[in-house]
Amino acid sequence: MSAQVEPASALASGAPVAPAGPVAGTAFKAVMAIFVAAGVIGFALNVGGANAARAWQAYLVNLLVWLGIAQGGVVMLAAFYLCNGRWAGTTQYRLAETFAGFIPLGFLLFFGLYFGRTLIFPWVLHPIAQKAAWLNTPFLFARDGIGLAIMTVLSLWLVRLSRTKEAAEWQRDSESILLVPNPIRRVAPALAICFAIVYTIIAFDLVMSLAPVWRSTLFGWYFFAGAFWSAAAAMALVAVIMRGLLGGNNAFKNPQVMRDIGLTVFAFSIFWIYLLFAQYIVIWYGDIPVETFFIVVRAYYPPWQALSYAVVILMWMIPFLTLLGVRPKKTPAILGAVSLCGVIGIWLERYVLVVPSLSPHTVPFGWVEILVTLGFFGAFVLCSLPGLDRLAASAAREVWVEEHE
Amino acid sequence: MTLGMSAAMEIIGSFADEHLCVRGIEDLHKAQVRNLRVFYPFPSHRIEHAMGKPKSKVRLFVLIGGITGILTALAITIGTSWEWNLVAGGKPIISWPPFIIICFELMILFGGISAVTSFLVNAGLPAFESKSGYQSRFSEDRFGVVVKCDGADSARIEKIESILRNAGAEEVLREAA
Amino acid sequence: MAAALQEPTTPTFRDIDRGVLRVMDFPGMAYWIWIAFCFSLVAIAAILWTRQIYEGLGVTGLRQPVMWAIYITNFVFWVGIAHSGTLISAILYLFRTRWRTAVYRAAETMTLFAVATAGLFPMIHLGRPWFLYWLLPYPNERYLQPNFRSPLVWDAFAVSTYLTISALFLFMGLIPDVANAREHAQGWRKKFYSILALGWQGTDRQWHHFAMAYLLMAGLATPLVISVHSVVSWDFAMAQLPGWHSTIFAPYFVAGAIFSGVAMVMTLLIPMRKWLHIEDLVTPWHIDSLAKIVLLTSLVVSYSYATESFMVWYSGDKIEQMTFHMRYFGPWGWIFWVMILCNCLIPLVLFSPRIRVNMKALWIISIFVNIGMWFERFDIIAGSLTTNFNPAQWHFYTPSITEIMITVGSFAWFLGLFSLFAKFLPIVSMTELKEGIGFLRQAIRKGSSTSA
Repeated sequence: MSAQVEPASALASGAPVAPAGPVAGTAFKAVMAIFVAAGVIGFALNVGGANAARAWQAYLVNLLVWLGIAQGGVVMLAAFYLCNGRWAGTTQYRLAETFAGFIPLGFLLFFGLYFGRTLIFPWVLHPIAQKAAWLNTPFLFARDGIGLAIMTVLSLWLVRLSRTKEAAEWQRDSESILLVPNPIRRVAPALAICFAIVYTIIAFDLVMSLAPVWRSTLFGWYFFAGAFWSAAAAMALVAVIMRGLLGGNNAFKNPQVMRDIGLTVFAFSIFWIYLLFAQYIVIWYGDIPVETFFIVVRAYYPPWQALSYAVVILMWMIPFLTLLGVRPKKTPAILGAVSLCGVIGIWLERYVLVVPSLSPHTVPFGWVEILVTLGFFGAFVLCSLPGLDRLAASAAREVWVEEHE
Repeated sequence: MTLGMSAAMEIIGSFADEHLCVRGIEDLHKAQVRNLRVFYPFPSHRIEHAMGKPKSKVRLFVLIGGITGILTALAITIGTSWEWNLVAGGKPIISWPPFIIICFELMILFGGISAVTSFLVNAGLPAFESKSGYQSRFSEDRFGVVVKCDGADSARIEKIESILRNAGAEEVLREAA
Repeated sequence: MAAALQEPTTPTFRDIDRGVLRVMDFPGMAYWIWIAFCFSLVAIAAILWTRQIYEGLGVTGLRQPVMWAIYITNFVFWVGIAHSGTLISAILYLFRTRWRTAVYRAAETMTLFAVATAGLFPMIHLGRPWFLYWLLPYPNERYLQPNFRSPLVWDAFAVSTYLTISALFLFMGLIPDVANAREHAQGWRKKFYSILALGWQGTDRQWHHFAMAYLLMAGLATPLVISVHSVVSWDFAMAQLPGWHSTIFAPYFVAGAIFSGVAMVMTLLIPMRKWLHIEDLVTPWHIDSLAKIVLLTSLVVSYSYATESFMVWYSGDKIEQMTFHMRYFGPWGWIFWVMILCNCLIPLVLFSPRIRVNMKALWIISIFVNIGMWFERFDIIAGSLTTNFNPAQWHFYTPSITEIMITVGSFAWFLGLFSLFAKFLPIVSMTELKEGIGFLRQAIRKGSSTSA
């Protein structure tokens, strides 16, 4: 059952197996740079004018989406180590590390919110006396800043340790029950624990506090589970693209590997809908106004209702119905399409979580949102390029060898 | 040979090792010897792969069972609610969130029951007669490959026996079936 | 690569059979005394229950407003204990975890008997248990049907589904093993195993469908186990009562269930592997992995306590704050702090790899966890009810001897049934150990090198 991955010997095949150059060409990089420039310009032009609130909302939504994917990937890496997951050799680990490059940038971008705080957090201009001890500007930026700083340091540290030679040896040896080498054994659990704590606080501060009277104890868990799932979807998408891009034989040609990636997307999508349902049914049944208004705005009345349903369709219904069987998981086109839906779904989900608190009756969507999103996307891809190069090298080296004798 | 009577004959090769057993199966398949019966003491993906059977139909039955469960749950929740429209706890008569829970539970219940039943039916259990060629050690630590063939065709018998031996069978027996 | 060359060759398949089947030898006197002891406690509980049915629920300590107390605590506790079995047998099966093979049968057996124990408590808690069938919809002339909008009805469906599925799952996994036991047994036991094995002989056709059905059962049991404890948690979370109404309850209860359940597996397995001489099949490596799950779920439970307390403070809701103040510092405050000690603090020592292979320490920790989780349930259930919205109603519950003895009886019932199973059916899965024999060999070698 274990997908045996063996490094193809360069001597045997008589040719270097690693791709000659980086994955992305100059043209691709230029396009991404143009995206970033468009985002920066779009944001700068609007942030001073009538659309300032929209610019800041788009900024917050995109920060949550892309930082969530990058951080979720590194947590997935930690999870692989903690579960001794070795179904695709080092490629599996390179895949989870792909987006880590965005984490430091995301950390810096977080502080940008300081300048838009009056337009984002309702309690800055209208403080709530009872909650002032928690909801005040200096404390919020201090605690979230420290939290994200810890996450950044731990993430980069784990990624570095994960790329050492002894870690790679362990990653390849799927038949051993020995634990991962020591520094990783300490950092991986620390990272996972900090992720849960820091991202719960981020969820409470950057999303829940936008509707300051609302509360849901599960919200933090729900929020970071969503981020974790979005990383799984993004990883699946990258795997499918990489499979085609590398051509020839590569690690992603192995149907078992594709199935395991598909299984991750499938399973955590179900977990996400479970957490959504667990919150919904408690609030629906309890029927207490301070809890229900948050859902009523989003799921019961237009204009947000349709978008909320779209989120459930994209993040759960499509992955669940299409990936239920084994064959669709192994079919790259299907897996890729489903993961693309997932990434769009998570963007929409964060949008529906954030924006209706500030704009309950209209859906602000236009050039401002599109340009800011493009900017973040471009920056995210550019930061991920070194990770993608490493992934490509690893996937091209660890070709699929059919194991059954 | 007794008057050319073509008594059916069984050749039983027993292996001490899973990999050798797989080799035996593959060699027999290469020599166009089909309809094997293999006994093995634990679920072996390698042997299953070597036998190359189509996917088990149990999947289909579980799907049908699960859908039946959902429909049953919808019928009883909606049906009983409509039988006497009694508002309880200020909730709608047809309240989807709770009904989804019942649908889910009955989907699992019916799906699980049909998984076990269809496994038993497809696997021919309960079986009251011993399968020919079975030895008790095939439940313990040996792998058995049983080939049925025509007792008169001695060339074929010898060929099968030599394939099994060459693959590494520790013992090859003939038995009248 | 180098490890492959010096691959150890023991234990063999025969060693596994011998090790497991030896456990099922004819039991000695001590065993029968233990069984008699367990079932006499069950008999006492049964007598007290009979009296309770005759006299009414007045013989318990249940008074307004605390109408749910020890019985419901026991129900939630035992359902929780059950969960780890399904986690180990189904979820870890889907994850292709290597170490589950040696422990899953014991855990699954525990699941079945724990659900069977849990299922008794809603019945015991009924004033008129003979009307239990009112939970099921059936045509009647009064047009009266169960209220499907009530969490208690969801619970009836969830728990009975769980009992059925875990019984089927356990039975399915047993088939190849009892077929093996059949080949070694004599007398009535041979007949008994032959009937249970249903004529299984391990043909390719049988295994082919078995593998698919087993995989699908695991796939069905995984969401089921999560749903069951979620539904149990919603018995409380649906109410508007402070201390109960909280969205985090579903996953928090699931984590707590797995936490207490895996601890119970350790409580049972650690002495069992010694008494039954299966140290070579259930190695420190296996127990170490169980300890890690206890640690993980302990952290999740701590996270949930912290989130709940934070949210009560953050919400500014006076009544919630009062309830939680009573929970920490009220007359039952000590229960809360015992729970924090047992569930959040003591399991932290499991971060040490040396403690995780120290059987005595692990056993003691697992007992603490069981106590802590029982207290947690009691604190949530009875504690929140004690101080409801109307202070004039406040009443502090004290359990009666009936409730205490029925609780003791439930532990005896569970342990008695488990002991019977362990001596008459294979408590360790032989087939799956054989399938993963390479890992077992490594585990034994690893164990001997660390202890040396």
